[in-house]
This record gives sequence, structure tokens and C-alpha cells, in this order.
Amino acid sequence: MEAFEKLPGEINHLVSSFSSIPVVGDLMTTGITQYTFWLIISSLLVLIILFAFAKRCAVVPQGRFVNGVEFVVEYLENDVGIGILGKESWRRHFPFLMTLFFFIAINNIVGIIPGMKPGTGTISVTAALALVAFVYFVGVGVKNKGAWGYIKSLAPKGVMFPLNILVWVIEVISTLLRPITLAVRLFCNMFAGHIVMGSFALMVSLFAEPLIQQLSLSNAAGALPGLVFAAILFVIYAIEIFVGVIQAYVFTVLTAVYIQGAEAAGH
Amino acid sequence: MGVIGYGLGVIGAGLAIGLAAYGVASAMARQPEVQDRVFTVFIMGAAFAEALALIGFVVALVVQ
Repeated sequence: MEAFEKLPGEINHLVSSFSSIPVVGDLMTTGITQYTFWLIISSLLVLIILFAFAKRCAVVPQGRFVNGVEFVVEYLENDVGIGILGKESWRRHFPFLMTLFFFIAINNIVGIIPGMKPGTGTISVTAALALVAFVYFVGVGVKNKGAWGYIKSLAPKGVMFPLNILVWVIEVISTLLRPITLAVRLFCNMFAGHIVMGSFALMVSLFAEPLIQQLSLSNAAGALPGLVFAAILFVIYAIEIFVGVIQAYVFTVLTAVYIQGAEAAGH
Repeated sequence: MGVIGYGLGVIGAGLAIGLAAYGVASAMARQPEVQDRVFTVFIMGAAFAEALALIGFVVALVVQ
């Protein structure tokens, strides 16, 4: 099984190809890495899709495209908007949440297409997104209760005096950890998903390599295990499309939960 | 070593997703009409547990 012996070296090569490589310019000063390039492409795609949707929006939606986008928006409206933020305030925060959802979802799905990279596949982009969400929910809290009021409201009411200081410290730490967990969760899902897909694709190519070099019956028999790996690759590919949408949804829901926590009058 | 560490780390995430599926299955059996909402909660819980396993995977690959 020489295919298995070659695998570790190939996987190291695969992992190193996922680090940021400049397309224009260089990493130290200014330049565009491959992730930034696909980020720009998918940002344009978001704008095109949503403006095309807005133009064809009607009281009675017609056509598959308009109905599809409307279904997604309506689902998130009921599930995230009214379900988490509540009937009074969901309209104020819904545009921000939808922007996050569509941006992340389209980035993830663009990244799955072979030859393209996800904009969210690098920690810098997910950290920036998480920082935006963090600033937004702290801003909502400060606007609703005032700066000092928000800091005080992190400690729950009804806890006795010496203990509430301890609870407050724990709450502050957990609030500061929120952007880090948001960023790392999204990045790890994208990175690990692409590594797994890449490893199975490598297995297929390693098994098929002798057959391509020399067409013979023994080589064809040797390439048969590659078919099994190709089948698994298709399943993982389908799962990755699912995961891309789910992670965008999870990011949106968590941001909504944090906004709701900052807005609620003490918990 | 990294592979063994990752394997150990996955035990926790596997148990967590299994527990989530157990809870969803028994909730759906008791009350089939809440199927949609319970499924959303399950997907989110599974995504959280899975993220921990994936962090282990990435750390095992990146830190060598």
C-alpha cells in the first residue's frame, strides 16, 4: 500500500497550501491574498443576489429565486428575530443579523466550489466578523442602560453582596471570550472541513496515479479502493454544503442571543 | 502523538452529539408536533459540540 505511505507528506503539503499566499503585493506591506480575493468576489455576489432580489420583490412572490430568498428571510425572521429578540425590538436588529447571515453563508458556499477559497477560511476574517458582532451587542447594551449601567448589569440581580462581585468577574470574562469563541468556531469549521475534503481527494488521486501513468489490469485493480474514497468524498462534500449554511445560522443565532442579553433589563 | 491526542479529544464531542440525539429522539417520541423546533435545537447543539472536536483537529494539525 504505497498510497498510504505517501499520504502524510501530501497532507503536510495540503495544510501549507491553506496559509495566506499573496496574489498581488506581499504579506508584510500591502497586497491581496487568495482569501481576500475570494472575499471580494463573494461580497460582490452578496450584493448582486440581494439587489436582484430587492428589485423583483413583490407582494406576491413569483419565481423560484425570489421565493427561495423569501423563504430563508422568513424562516430567520420567525426563528431568530421574533423567536429570540422578541416582538418589540427584532425590527431594529434584523438588518444587521441578515447581513451577517448572507455574508457568511455565501462566503462558505463559494469556498466549497473546487478551485475557490472561502473568505471565512482564514482567522483574520472571522475575527473581524466576531469583533463587529461584539461591538454591536456591547453598543446596544450601552445605548439601552448607559455605560456604567451596562457594566453593572452584567452581574445578575438578587445575589448577595460578596458573591455578586465574584459572579460579575466571571460574567465579564465570559463576555470577553464571546468574540474569540465566535471567530474560532467559524474558522475551525471551514478549515477542518476543507482539510478533510482535501485528504479524501488526495487518497483518490494517490490510488489512481499508477493507472494514469500506465494503463494495465493490475493497476486498474489497484485503483479500485480509490472508488470507495471517491464515494466518501461525495458524501463529505454534501455535508460541507450543509455545514456552511449551519455555521452561518449558528453565528447569527449566537449574535442574536448576545444582543438579547445586552438589551434585557437584567437577567 | 497529535493524532492520539485528537482521538482522545473526539470522545467528548462524540458523547455530546450522541446525548443530543438521544434527547431529540425521546422528545420527538413524546411530542411529535414539536419536531421542527426540536430539530433546530438539535442542529445547534450538535454544531457547538462539533466545533470543540474541530478545534482539536485544527490544533493537532497546526501545532506540531
